Amino acid sequence: MTELETVPAPERTRGEGLAARVLRIGLTERVVLLAVLLVVVVVWFRVLGAGGYLVAPYDLRYLGNALESMVPFALLAVAELFVIVSGRGGIDLSVGAIVSLAGMAFGFMVGVWGWPLLPSILGCIVVGALLGAVNGALVAYVRFPALIATLATYYAYSSLALISNANAPISTPPVVALHSLTRNVDLPAPLPPVPLHVFTILLPCAVLAWVVMSRSTYGRSLYAVGTNDIAAAYATQSVARTRFTAFVLSGLLSGVVAVVTVGQFASARPDAGIVGNGMALPAITVAVLGGVAIQGGIGRVGGVLVAALLVTWLNAGMLLAFPEGAEGSRYQLLALGLVLVLSALLNTIALRRYGRLS
Amino acid sequence: MSVMTTAAGAPAQRRPRVRAIEGQEIALIGVVGLLWVVLSLATDTFLTTGNLQNILFTVAPIALVGIGMTAVIVTAGIDVSVGSQAAVVMVVVALTVRDSGLPFVAAVAVAVVVGLVLGAVNGLLVAYGGIHPIIVTFGTLNIYRFVALQIFGTEQVAGVPATLAPIGGGMEGRLLGVPTAWWLTLVLAAGMWCYMRYWATGRHLYAVGGDAFAARLAGVRVRRRQISAYVLTGACVGLAACVLIGSGGLVQQNVGTGLELRVIAAVVIGGTSIIGGRGTVLGTLLGALLVGTVSSAVTLLSWPSELAQLFIGLFILVAVGVDLLRERRRSAR
Repeated sequence: MTELETVPAPERTRGEGLAARVLRIGLTERVVLLAVLLVVVVVWFRVLGAGGYLVAPYDLRYLGNALESMVPFALLAVAELFVIVSGRGGIDLSVGAIVSLAGMAFGFMVGVWGWPLLPSILGCIVVGALLGAVNGALVAYVRFPALIATLATYYAYSSLALISNANAPISTPPVVALHSLTRNVDLPAPLPPVPLHVFTILLPCAVLAWVVMSRSTYGRSLYAVGTNDIAAAYATQSVARTRFTAFVLSGLLSGVVAVVTVGQFASARPDAGIVGNGMALPAITVAVLGGVAIQGGIGRVGGVLVAALLVTWLNAGMLLAFPEGAEGSRYQLLALGLVLVLSALLNTIALRRYGRLS
Repeated sequence: MSVMTTAAGAPAQRRPRVRAIEGQEIALIGVVGLLWVVLSLATDTFLTTGNLQNILFTVAPIALVGIGMTAVIVTAGIDVSVGSQAAVVMVVVALTVRDSGLPFVAAVAVAVVVGLVLGAVNGLLVAYGGIHPIIVTFGTLNIYRFVALQIFGTEQVAGVPATLAPIGGGMEGRLLGVPTAWWLTLVLAAGMWCYMRYWATGRHLYAVGGDAFAARLAGVRVRRRQISAYVLTGACVGLAACVLIGSGGLVQQNVGTGLELRVIAAVVIGGTSIIGGRGTVLGTLLGALLVGTVSSAVTLLSWPSELAQLFIGLFILVAVGVDLLRERRRSAR
């Protein structure tokens, strides 16, 4: 949000004490706050590990492995970033269902119809984008509230995903072979092995998303529409098409996640994105934690990615701290809920106090 | 959902009197009636006492929670934590009934009180935290699920006695052949319908949802109304949890997952506007009936049960789409 801020923020930097300055930066510069929290989490678990409270070492190798579970949520959180920034109550509850349905389509292409890998991946992403386009058309052109449209398509898509193969996963040999897409790769000495798709999928998508949001006309237009769609319309922005594209991008990223999850499970599962609380909720949580304001018009790719990393390493640490049965995943629920509410509170305070949030 | 939408919407016109029944509700009655006729002709099993009792009983919890949810959505809020709330109430009630042998009335009282507390947390966060309701309740959805699982400990609650059978799904839970849970729903819905229609504070719910700022200037206690809606939802969840435990047996750890979506679907199909300010409990009741009928129909026609979700999704789109068209015509006039 650089060029957009034509109205300068009130001059507060001069004559401001150190404490007030730290508070202001902590509240308004979300990336800084998250980076500090990230360090705190890692150091804290290292200390716990040194004191013998963890069942396994919380070391670089473990942190590297944990990145595997970060990829889907980071990508879906970026998907939510596009949609939420588009404003007017923008939200996408259907991302998990799109992951399921596009994943099943991917499974059919690779495992049943025997398509080669690259056209299948492309096909899966196209399916995701089309499903997102349905959401976008409903929200942007028919003017459904986003919550309702994506709730309805959540139902429809997850139902279609379950019916497509009579509620059974597709795990024929070609699909199982896809697991190599998500294998660990060894890095030079001090660095731990890292899942391959961090490099092949997450980083390219993140860079592309950053370019779209911060360096393209579309991104400028999206922030403008999300901040005030009436003003944007007077400024000759096509509000409906901008919103529509945001949902298409969200579907497209969900299609990418579908490829990743099929690879991780080595099987196309019809309930991949909707089991339990589904994938939409954690994605929205990560987006809000990353500084995306639910009112629209505010949010950055960098914040969302750091937030995804923070949640991933926090979750990974909790699995080691609470080893008994499902206790670790139970505390993850608690942490996810608290983090969501607290970060939203932080967003509110920052907006009230300083009138901005980066 | 934003201030903008309400500002751009049509100015509210003063009507001579509020109609007793909205167009959307008449259409819903028609759709449900048509479905029932078609299903009774198409299958032998639909129009049997057993099946109808079953539909009414399975619809009851959704409609019960829907009563509170209607109030919440009318105030331009939303509560996606009801499924987790139900899980907390169910595990607490199941454990107290099993381990300390509470009688029926006390068990229901415990359920309602626990529900009230959970709802109050949501209400306070929404009213005083300045956080968007969907974020608050997404958060508490996780937190309440954690609380429920923590109370469950490592295993599900087995051997729950039939203390709550009078509002359960068995033979005991019927009055004049109709499940008592459904009677309970009807009585509560009727009360809520009158409250939201005739009482000052009930009308204030609509004012808050229409434009919270204007309502405040007009002397409506906005925060109090918001909190009351979430607290009411909590109480309704308490009752619904009692219905769900019913004749006892096993309470599993995944109870209540997905309840929120079914309830919101029923409310929205019933014509309540998600941006607030419009909607009735009668519509919600009909919406819940439609959802229940569709689920039952899919089973009776021996279609894959997942197809029911597809139909629910389509019904939401049609119901809201028709409403949008009517709204657009109204504002064009």
